[in-house]
Parts: sequence; C-alpha cells; structure tokens
Amino acid sequence: MDHTESEMTDVPEWLLINENYIPLTDKDTFVNKSILSIFRVISRIKMQDSIQQTHLKINVPLNVLCTAILLILVSLTKSLIFVMIINVYLLSILCVTDTDRLIRILKLSVGVTLFTAIIMLPAFIQGNSYSSIMITTKVFASITAVGLLSHTTKWSLLTKALKRFYVPDIFILILDITIKYIYRLGELSLSMFYALKLRSVGKNNKKYTSMAGVAGTMFLQSMEMAEEMYHAMECRGFSGEYHRMEKSKFKWIDYFHIAIHIGFVVLYLYLGRVLS
Amino acid sequence: MIEIKNVFYSYLDIIALNNINLEIKPGEAVALMGANGCGKSTLLKLMNGIISPERGSYRFDGEEITHKKLQDSKFSKQLHQRIGFVFQNSDTQLFCSSVFEEIAFGPRQMGLDELEVTKRVKDCLKLLNIENFENRIPYHLSGGEKRKVAIACVMSLNPDVLVLDEPMNGLDPKTQRWLVEFLVKLNKAGKTLIISTHNLELVHEISTRAILFNEEHTIVADMLTKELLKDIDLLKKVNLVDKYYH
Repeated sequence: MDHTESEMTDVPEWLLINENYIPLTDKDTFVNKSILSIFRVISRIKMQDSIQQTHLKINVPLNVLCTAILLILVSLTKSLIFVMIINVYLLSILCVTDTDRLIRILKLSVGVTLFTAIIMLPAFIQGNSYSSIMITTKVFASITAVGLLSHTTKWSLLTKALKRFYVPDIFILILDITIKYIYRLGELSLSMFYALKLRSVGKNNKKYTSMAGVAGTMFLQSMEMAEEMYHAMECRGFSGEYHRMEKSKFKWIDYFHIAIHIGFVVLYLYLGRVLS
Repeated sequence: MIEIKNVFYSYLDIIALNNINLEIKPGEAVALMGANGCGKSTLLKLMNGIISPERGSYRFDGEEITHKKLQDSKFSKQLHQRIGFVFQNSDTQLFCSSVFEEIAFGPRQMGLDELEVTKRVKDCLKLLNIENFENRIPYHLSGGEKRKVAIACVMSLNPDVLVLDEPMNGLDPKTQRWLVEFLVKLNKAGKTLIISTHNLELVHEISTRAILFNEEHTIVADMLTKELLKDIDLLKKVNLVDKYYH
C-alpha cells in the first residue's frame, strides 16, 4: 500500500463512524430451512463422487436389471412367504454394507414402511390383515431394494448402465446433464440464500419479495447456462447424435448374483403354483 | 478484532481448514493467498458466520462465535452488519428489481428512516461511481458494474470489516485499478479489509499483510505482503506460481 494519503472528502461521514446498531428480532426460519435443505441436496450429489460400491462390487447393469426383476416379482406375487424371503435376502445384503449406508437405507425404508402401516391400519382393523401385512412388507422390500441400488452405485454409473437396456444415448446424455445442472443451480441458489441471509441484518417485512428476486435471478441464470451449453456443444461439433461406449466384464460374484435371482424367479413361479 | 485459534473445518471427508491460527487487528488490510482449493473461501465463510468451526475457536471483538450463537437471529444479524461480505460471483448477491432498491435493502432493514436510506444510497452510488445506474436492473449490468453494485450493497450497511472473495476476478484492468484505489481509500477511512486474491501484481497495493495457505489447507506464512512477494521459492512451494514467475 504505497499510495499517498488519498482524499477523504468523497467518503461520506456516516461511513467514517462506527455503526451502533442493535437489530430488531425477526424470523428467519424460511431462509434458514431453505439453506439447510439445499445444502442437503448438494451434499447428497457431492457424496456420489465418493460413493464406493460395496465390497461385493456387482456389475452395475446387472444390478439394475436384477433390482428391476426383484421389484416386478415383489409387486406381482400373492405369496407372503416369497416377500418375506426377499426381505430376508435384502436384510442380509444390508448386513454386509457399512454402518453409515445401512442407517441411511434403513431410515428411508423403515420410515416409508411405517407410513404405509399407518395408512393400512383401518383396513387391518376391518379384518383385512393379510392384505395389510402383504402391502406393508412389499413396500419395505421395494424401498430397500431401490435404496440398496442407489446408495451403492454412483448415479453416473446408473445412467451409463441404461445403455445396456437400449435406452437412447441422447436420453442418457440428458439425464447426465440434468444431474450436473441440479448440482450447479443448487450451488448457485445456496450462495444466493447465503447472500440474502448476510444482507438481512434487520427486520425484513418483504421477505417474499426478496425470495421472488432470488427465484427470478435463478431462472435467468439457468437460461444463460442453457444457452452457454448449447453454444459450447455446437462449437464442439454436436449434431444431435451422442454415442457412449460401454464395456463391462462379468466376475464370479455376478454369476452368483444371477443364480440367486434365477432362484427367486423359480421360487416365485413355484409359490404361485402352490397358491393357485 | 478477529481471533482464530486452532480451527479445523471439513466438507464431508475433505479437509478445508487445517489448524488455522490467525489474528487480525482493526484497520488492517490483509490478503489471503494460496492456490485454488486451499481453504481461503472457507475461511472467509467462517469469518462471516456462514459456517462455524468443527474444532477450535473463532472470536470477533472478544466474543466467541459458535454454531449455537449463530442460531440466535439477533446475534447473527449484528455480526453480519459488522462484517460485510462481497461474494466472488456478484450475481449471487443481487436479487432486487433496481440498483437503488438493491443498495437500500440493508439500510431499510436497519430501521433507518427513508431520508437517511436515500442519503446512504446516493452516497454509495457516488462513492462507487455508479450514479447513472440508480434505476437500472442489476441483472443487466456488466461484470464490473455488478461488482460495484455488490460492494455498494455491503457498504451501505457501514460494516467495520469488509471481506472480499477474489474481488479482481473477471474485471478489466481499468476496473481493477479503480477497485485498488477504492479499497485503499476505504482502508484509510478505518475499515478493516480481508481480501482473498490470486492477483500477485496488485496484492501489495491492497494489503500490507499477507497470509499464505499451502495445499494442505494450513497457513505457512504470515508476513508483510512485499516480503512475501519476494520469497518466490515459498510461492512456488505452495503452487501459487510456476518456474516462469519472477
């Protein structure tokens, strides 16, 4: 700072004195809750980066296919024994995952199952106990199966796996871009909420006007981002065609996984025949 | 004024601040320097009460800033009035319908009467040389103009400390020069400045003291800016410059 003494005449007087400011009480719940929820979404996406597959490391397209088969079997079956067997299988898989993941998956599946149980309670009291238990256990199995898949596989690998099921490449590209922009816009909105919080130093009677401003800026920014990306893609020679290469090898664990699921299909058919 | 002792902070498993110790006195002009991702922005967020330390303590004017205290709306509002934060991306800071409304946002919340609010806005517009923008829509301004409006928004609160995150980024040389002169003027007016920057050409003009981070998110040097700029080996060691820098 080698500057000579600059003129202070243009610095307003109020800026030279210390502000003796005591803020009035105001509610910031909405901004604080928004910050927290956006932060959670961003952390969830960021955590995808560090997701490690469980030590079972099942081939991702195979895992997606098996989960889909499992969901179909669970929803079609009329046998409570079959659903219970699936639940036991899923819980035993959960046992070999790490504690954090186990808690996160169980939190979701137990929460949704409890909610279903409460909804089914009147039917249970009316005497439809079998159907109520059936639906509740089916919900537990479905949520746990999907939770296991999403918590043990990176989203990028999941979208990549869609290629194996002949999902058009352009659709996979759109999915990837969507995930990326949810993250980018999430970061942007988080910064805007931080700024709003930092600048809200007193009583704000027009909170919703500020929120509308934040939403408007977000909309304009997303439009700008979309335009920028469109131009960038054009510059990179994008002509509407997008090809994605996907090669994967099967290991012994994958064959074991296939065998288990074939077993489930056989069991489903057998129990279906026994029941009829 | 600002006292940071043995502070640690991490994002999930990624360490952002590793045993930070720092003291800043009123009226100082301090530059935070270091390679990208070394923890400068996190430290600025911590100073502004956006985040609180996982371990260690942060004191502002002798009072410890904790997560619990920041939950108290009155306390955090007072802290935010005393420490103004200019974000790296000015777009995130502007959300009102006109530049006038943008600058008046803070003073109005402080309960100042409309005459005083108008005086503050006019003074800020004059101080930042953006008198003609009063009725413009902030979103339609250029990068440099937005930065000026963002600074004006913070200045209208009359904070004791002004924290700027990479203020020179994306500005043309003329606006950079203007900003240097402006920050010097503010510092001479008694404001404490904390600036994170990569700009090695201008850093000695906007700060007297420099704090250097290494890539392990620790402070490796705290010295006069001029002295630090001479220590090229150290700057190379923290990956701030390469072999072509001299």
